[in-house]
Amino acid sequence: MMAELIAPTHDAAGAPLAGLVVVELAGELTGYAGRLLHDLGADVTLVGEVDGSAESRFLHHGKGRAADPHGLLETADVVLYTGGADGSEPPAVGPQTIAVAFTAFGTTGPAADWVSTDLIRLAAGGLLWLGGYPDAGPVAPYGNQSARAVSTYGVVALLLALMERDHSGAGCTLEISAQEVMTQALETALPDFELTGKVRTRLGPEPPEAGSGIYPCRDGWVSMVAGRLGTTEAWRRLREWLVEAGEPGANDLWEAPWETLEHRQLPESRAHFAEIFRSFASSRTKGELYDEAQRRSIALAPVNAPLDVVADPQLVARSFLVEAEGTLVPAPPYRMSAPAPVDAVETAAVEVAP
Amino acid sequence: MKDVLRGIRVLDFCWVGAGALVTKLLAEHGADVIKVESHARPDNLRVAPPYRPGAEGLEGSGYFASRNNDKRSLALDLRQQKSREIAKQLAAQVDVVANNFRPGVMERWGLDYASVAEVNPSVVYLSMPMQGSDGPHRNFIGFGATIAALAGLVELSGLPDRPPVGTGTHYPDHVPSPGHALVALLATLRQRAATGRGRWIDVSQLESAANMIGPALVAAANGEPVPTRTGNRHPQHCPSGVFRCTGDESWIAVAARTDAEWTALVDVLQTDELRDPRYETFELRKQHEDDVERIVGGHAAQRGCRELAEALQAAGVPAYPVLSSKDVLDDEQLRARGFWRTLEHPVIGFMTAPSTPFVNNSERTGPVAAAPLLGEHTSDVAHELLGLDDAQVETLTEEGVFW
Repeated sequence: MMAELIAPTHDAAGAPLAGLVVVELAGELTGYAGRLLHDLGADVTLVGEVDGSAESRFLHHGKGRAADPHGLLETADVVLYTGGADGSEPPAVGPQTIAVAFTAFGTTGPAADWVSTDLIRLAAGGLLWLGGYPDAGPVAPYGNQSARAVSTYGVVALLLALMERDHSGAGCTLEISAQEVMTQALETALPDFELTGKVRTRLGPEPPEAGSGIYPCRDGWVSMVAGRLGTTEAWRRLREWLVEAGEPGANDLWEAPWETLEHRQLPESRAHFAEIFRSFASSRTKGELYDEAQRRSIALAPVNAPLDVVADPQLVARSFLVEAEGTLVPAPPYRMSAPAPVDAVETAAVEVAP
Repeated sequence: MKDVLRGIRVLDFCWVGAGALVTKLLAEHGADVIKVESHARPDNLRVAPPYRPGAEGLEGSGYFASRNNDKRSLALDLRQQKSREIAKQLAAQVDVVANNFRPGVMERWGLDYASVAEVNPSVVYLSMPMQGSDGPHRNFIGFGATIAALAGLVELSGLPDRPPVGTGTHYPDHVPSPGHALVALLATLRQRAATGRGRWIDVSQLESAANMIGPALVAAANGEPVPTRTGNRHPQHCPSGVFRCTGDESWIAVAARTDAEWTALVDVLQTDELRDPRYETFELRKQHEDDVERIVGGHAAQRGCRELAEALQAAGVPAYPVLSSKDVLDDEQLRARGFWRTLEHPVIGFMTAPSTPFVNNSERTGPVAAAPLLGEHTSDVAHELLGLDDAQVETLTEEGVFW
């Protein structure tokens, strides 16, 4: 029988972190951590001022509020705060408390006291170097990604520390570095350099090879991966599609050299394919291309603007946007079944007993 | 915390990017992660570059090695019925079963949550399909780059007068999807330690990436002004940009959030041009942001990026050299914190590997053992968990079950 999956909510029966008392000292790097903990059932109290911006509503809906942390820190299971030059000294907490410092660069090392914004943290972590256009400087991704990322991995660290505390009973101090988290986003850039000496750089929207990249279409752009990472079948299906559509020049793509990745990565190959695909896509919308590509098992997706995202049929069908405190907000990115029935667990325990 | 997951056993069907980074972190904290793969259908990353020259082939991928350290490898060809029975036997004994296939794949093998929970109700079962396990697009396919496009991150990243450019990587695979999956999985594992009751966690990689631009979606969903591409500019900072310094491909990121930081920036650059009344307030600087960037850029071009970053930070101005992959490995801050470790792989040789990005009571955790060769631990797993002797293992190997 298919188990029912439901989006976790703070008050749901069986919420994994129900009963966990968290104090979040408001800061740029801590907000999303509090969001994740609240959604899994923790009682999060936000200390500090918040405004009514979209960012604040996204990060803080549902959390408890307090004007100052007096009387809260000693008894909390968890305290989230900002460390480093943009933050504060570690707060005085109880012996059982896990205090988590969210930092840009960590609290040790020559840059421990350096100040930052998202742009600076992305520069220090290496992701900024990889974004942008070859003929202009590096360009950062949108949306304070370093703050979201350090929050997310700060919660990962916290959960490991909580499991340790469940055995020892003792609190601890944790610190998480946004710079270090962002190095995980470098894909193959580190082994590329170490194994081949190649310093990977920004490619812009131009495809790194024929079949993979961002291509214009009638009403915007689409993103496609066909030909690499085990998608050689998709490269074949893509060419079939172009030929079936009667696209001039598409038959050229069936000549032998086009079967190899090396040929498809040549600048002239990329340009030739792009010309064919642009012609093909210029009369088709991103929605039409998405539907047909997926029908043909080709990994193509529209480059959606925020308004497209909130209208996406899949997200609408899954009720991804939910009402909270009078505003529509994204639901957490996971669903969970109810915990397995106690009788099933007990039966299994008896069956495996010696 | 390096042993905090000691005793947790994971049957790992994850492959390619997002899932592999989930089980990597579990392995780095003491979990016994058994990666199920086969020569018949190796993990795509095993055939993905980079390779050290002379180390090409199934065991030589640096991409695979960077995501699979500290795991064990079981070669099991799941096209065979007998292999699927063995997988089910293993699933009955483990604490976690993880996969990032499309919906339907694990069902075909009889390894979906319901089937596993029948024999192991306390299992924590992680699935990570691209768009979740239900809904009209549940079977759609994609990669990190296409997920970022679908979720709105690509459209918002880039210069306003140029096409969208995204992150230049499959970003959702590397941070959002594994991060969110780990949050849900670890919270559930902790709950299970208290109750003994398992459950199924289903991560939508699309919804994971969409949450990373949550505020933009809140604005869009509530009929408020939605953001558009602004390059490196920031609505509350001026400047907020990347500027070329002396040397080849040498860049610095600089921002000023307050009037004090602006004044300090002007002092460090030693330029009277920026002491003009046109730049006196934040609002005025925003009105003349092109000029601000041109002047700052002109001065940065005469300075070394490291020297300028240190001077700016000494004055309290946010700045950092824009680090390339080579620079990241040499970065003084990361080195001083002991972030990098070295692993020796039998085919690839020495490789640098990052620690986990956190420190607990001054203790660092991270990789200890290099990624396994395909099937390297098949015999060990067969002996320990299936109770098979050498002869039985040999027979199953000859039959192509262990392949």
